[in-house]
Amino acid sequence: MSTKTYKKFENAGSGDLPDKMTVYQDCMNTFNESPVNPKRCRILISRLLRLLSNGVAFPENEATALFFSISKLFQHQNDALRQVVYLAIKELSEMSEDVLMATSSIMKDVQNGSDLVKPNAIRALTYVLDESTAFSAERLLKSAVVSKHPAISSAALCTSYNLLPISEVTIKRFANEAQEGISDLKQFPNIPYDEHSLLVGEFYPNSSYMAQYHAIGLIYQLKKNDKMAILKLASQLADSNTLKNQLAKVQVVKLINDLINRDPQLFNEFQEVLFSWLTNKFEAVQIEVAKVISSFALRNQRLVAPDSFAYVIATLQGLLAVPRVSTRFAVLRILNKIAMVAPEKIASCNPELETLINDPNRNISTYAITILLKTGNASNIASLISRISRFFHDVSDDFKIIIIDAVRTLSLSFPQEWKSIVKFLMDVLKNSEGGLKFKSTVVEAIVDIVSFIPESKELILENLCDFIEDCEFNEILVRILHLLGKEGPYTSKPSLYVRHIYNRVVLENSIIRSAAVVALAKFALTKNDPTLKESIVSLLVRIANDQDDEVRDRATIALRLIKSADDDNTTVATELIEPKYFYDLPSLESKLSSYLTTNNDSFKTPFDSSNIRRFTEDEVKAIELKRKQEQSLSTSPESPLESGTKKSKSNNNTDNNAFPGSSVGEDEQELLNTKYNEELLAIDQFKDYGKLINSSKSVSLTETEAEFIVNGVKHIFQDNIVLQFNIANTLPNIALTNVSVSCTQEDPETSQLEELFSIAIDRLLPTEEGACYVAFQKTDELVVEGFLNSLVFTTVDINPDTNEPYEGEEGFQDEYEIDSLYINAGDYVTGSFIGNFDKAFEELPAEEIAVFNIQENLSLQEVIDKIITNSNCLPLNNTQFAPSDSNSHVLKLFGKSVLSGSKVALLIKMIHSSKGIALKVQGKGENATLCSDLVNGLM
Amino acid sequence: MSLYSVEGILILDSKGERIYGKYYSPPHSHTGSEYAVAKSLATSNKVQFEFEKQLFKKTHKKNAEIMLYENHLVLYKEYTDVTLYLIGDGNENELVLQEAFDAYRNSLELVLNNGVDKKNIQENYDLMLLAIDELIDNGIILETDPASIASRVTKAPEENVTLDLDKGLLGAWGFAKSKFQERLQQGL
Repeated sequence: MSTKTYKKFENAGSGDLPDKMTVYQDCMNTFNESPVNPKRCRILISRLLRLLSNGVAFPENEATALFFSISKLFQHQNDALRQVVYLAIKELSEMSEDVLMATSSIMKDVQNGSDLVKPNAIRALTYVLDESTAFSAERLLKSAVVSKHPAISSAALCTSYNLLPISEVTIKRFANEAQEGISDLKQFPNIPYDEHSLLVGEFYPNSSYMAQYHAIGLIYQLKKNDKMAILKLASQLADSNTLKNQLAKVQVVKLINDLINRDPQLFNEFQEVLFSWLTNKFEAVQIEVAKVISSFALRNQRLVAPDSFAYVIATLQGLLAVPRVSTRFAVLRILNKIAMVAPEKIASCNPELETLINDPNRNISTYAITILLKTGNASNIASLISRISRFFHDVSDDFKIIIIDAVRTLSLSFPQEWKSIVKFLMDVLKNSEGGLKFKSTVVEAIVDIVSFIPESKELILENLCDFIEDCEFNEILVRILHLLGKEGPYTSKPSLYVRHIYNRVVLENSIIRSAAVVALAKFALTKNDPTLKESIVSLLVRIANDQDDEVRDRATIALRLIKSADDDNTTVATELIEPKYFYDLPSLESKLSSYLTTNNDSFKTPFDSSNIRRFTEDEVKAIELKRKQEQSLSTSPESPLESGTKKSKSNNNTDNNAFPGSSVGEDEQELLNTKYNEELLAIDQFKDYGKLINSSKSVSLTETEAEFIVNGVKHIFQDNIVLQFNIANTLPNIALTNVSVSCTQEDPETSQLEELFSIAIDRLLPTEEGACYVAFQKTDELVVEGFLNSLVFTTVDINPDTNEPYEGEEGFQDEYEIDSLYINAGDYVTGSFIGNFDKAFEELPAEEIAVFNIQENLSLQEVIDKIITNSNCLPLNNTQFAPSDSNSHVLKLFGKSVLSGSKVALLIKMIHSSKGIALKVQGKGENATLCSDLVNGLM
Repeated sequence: MSLYSVEGILILDSKGERIYGKYYSPPHSHTGSEYAVAKSLATSNKVQFEFEKQLFKKTHKKNAEIMLYENHLVLYKEYTDVTLYLIGDGNENELVLQEAFDAYRNSLELVLNNGVDKKNIQENYDLMLLAIDELIDNGIILETDPASIASRVTKAPEENVTLDLDKGLLGAWGFAKSKFQERLQQGL
């Protein structure tokens, strides 16, 4: 390397990163020099740290060598050098093989160092101690914790906290000293004159009492398993006035939160103090308290009085007007969470939220809008939409997408308000600037509305026809043409759409022409209108001479299909164009890939698609609607500017669990069903039963802490019922053999089920899970039945080393009672979607009415969840959420029989009074038995 | 209830390149494998640089101060040619993190007495490192008072080259020569 480039690195101001090898060599040379040159060492160390911070890593041997030479610098007594040496030690300790050589020097500094380096030394202990050496620091840490110097005390508390996972026992020994740290108000001593010369400037520390915060954090970790100790700590801190540090106060609020989550009854005890803190001088404390109370109140509605909740909202409302951005941001996050479950509670904040729409901070205005859209009700949607349209054109695409998503959710919640929403979306689609992603979000939202709100169809399709006259994105055009082909034939004047589609054929490129051909063909095939068909055929004949081969091919195929449909009335064409069912794609995929890998006869056996789950169109819609309803819950605009990236389940933080809606995990249920299907088909005895029609959710039949945990799943086949029991053995060192479940009908005399056989589990080792099955023959009728179950097994002690039974061990037979399993009408029903519930409800012939009185102390929401789970129907019109401001609710459910496909609708009116909850269930259906069984077995 | 509320400290320049970056993960608890995946931001350089690239896109010239990004709370402040970031847990109290961020910003302004800019940070890298070290310990907020932080930051030691004039001009020449040779050797 030339002197010139060397000079370049010498100049710290140059933006380039120093060379790794040069730095390494320089460090090794300079650090080993004698006498040590502190200034040069410090420059080199900061250069080294700059490399490390930019992700440059040294191999282990070089890192070790560096670590070793740097620890030699402890011999030099300059504190300014020592501080950076500690930085380097901390960074290198993770890469170096051996860190022991620095330990004794660090320990020496902890004891005898100046006040300036002592905290640095203490904090470096985290990095050089391990399980075997941590105990040796006990005395040092203990005396540092009680030090009067706040920096030393804080450093010792943090180090203890960091060391907890490896030396809890040691640290417990000075828990009392740490506890004193909470009440001790430590002041900074004056900086001695000689140290001033070392420092960057003359700054005088203010005592912020951070040690209180660290001490509370440490004490909590030490005592978190002891509820009484935490309770005592929280009460002490809540009452006394010792806490000066705001972070420490926030920590106490979190402490109380932890307690009331463990035991909701404790809320009463802390209620007063929490509410008094809502007016605390620190905004951080106010925010934390509001967060804690609101999330608690949403989970335990009975324990928080509505007035108190309103008080929290009022506090938050006040905080919306403060200048600090992060305060407003924090408030909006809290309001947003409340809005997801109980939007009516925060309606009082609407004026403030509306002013925030114009906030210069994007994140804040986005939150404000999404909250407003959530709190929207039938009466103010129109005005809300017009507000949004006023500023909509000024914002960026990212932001627009979020708003469109919120509007789309809104349209699903308030189907009756579709007109203003559609008008808004159309306006946005036609008149605003925007990229592909934004426009396709709008189109997706419109497509959703068309499929879930049938009344809107004609208006939307006509508008889309206008739009495609002037659309620059192929993807969107193709999407719209597909929609026109799918929905257009069922409108009052299909010829209008045909004309628009044909215009595309004349004017656009080949991709769009091909899509248009398919759309045209659909009109001809699904609409039995000879004149229309004739004109389409003549158009297609013309297109068949297109210059692009794909377009030509499609036109020719379409003509053939139309002709074949005319000639011999075959259904090939209609099935192709209008499939009656769709495959379950994930299971189709796995089947196909296993078909490819297990190919033995060069694909002579055709792929067997009969075992793959199929859905009819309304089933698909039901699944989609459910998924969308869930999305509206889980996708808060937590990350407003990245709505495009799909968030994983794990991102739904714990606060979202506040509302255990019954629909949670619907996707997983689908996956599970596919899995059951495969598992059952793998068992020989079940092969003749045909297709698995429905599987219930798994029902827990034991306490979750029991020795054996048993879950039951009910599988329904055309002529059979199979009960699956998943059994987990939690006993250590004991294996269960020959495990089976004996099921007895509750009323064997009249039972319509005949037990066929049961399949036992041979052996269940500790911590293993297994499934055993019991199969029944059933009649054609809908069978409703309860089973008394007990687990029958032989226990065998096993040798923990080999996991094998001891020799000669025979074991003894045992029986274990588990809960009953009921097959009810809900198991024969699956959720189904209908656009217009009220109309469908009117039209269904059979009717059944039942009245229930629930005396248990349940909230409306809990009852709703239970009904949805029991009936297996799909809640419509957003009725699955109980209003929190009223005592009555109407739940609308729709489903259909899995056996016959007959529809059933339930209208459930409920009133909550002091005596409990009264339900009036009105069921209507095509099949009277199903309807009455479902209604009567609901609770 | 954890004290580990800060997940990272970043300083990016006007092109989004890292000037300083440190991601924290609780020490002594890297045994669980699932944990390692969740904390990949703290361990994988690749993940970090990608994260910074995307973060910079979201924040550059956006003047928002606080945002949620991939379930992290991010507080930031743009200066002329650098941006300071503090990345915290998504569930942490926003104002607690704001306290930490204010301390971070103000203490840097104190120790870099010529203002926060790229050149100044690079020239006084050690001061910046020391200030941040006094602010956050392994993700625990250590101190929130900027003056207290600045009062614990040492400046670089003075070069104590004291020529002993008694030895005369020759001695001084010899000293200069040896220093010069040393420099040359290092340069080679």
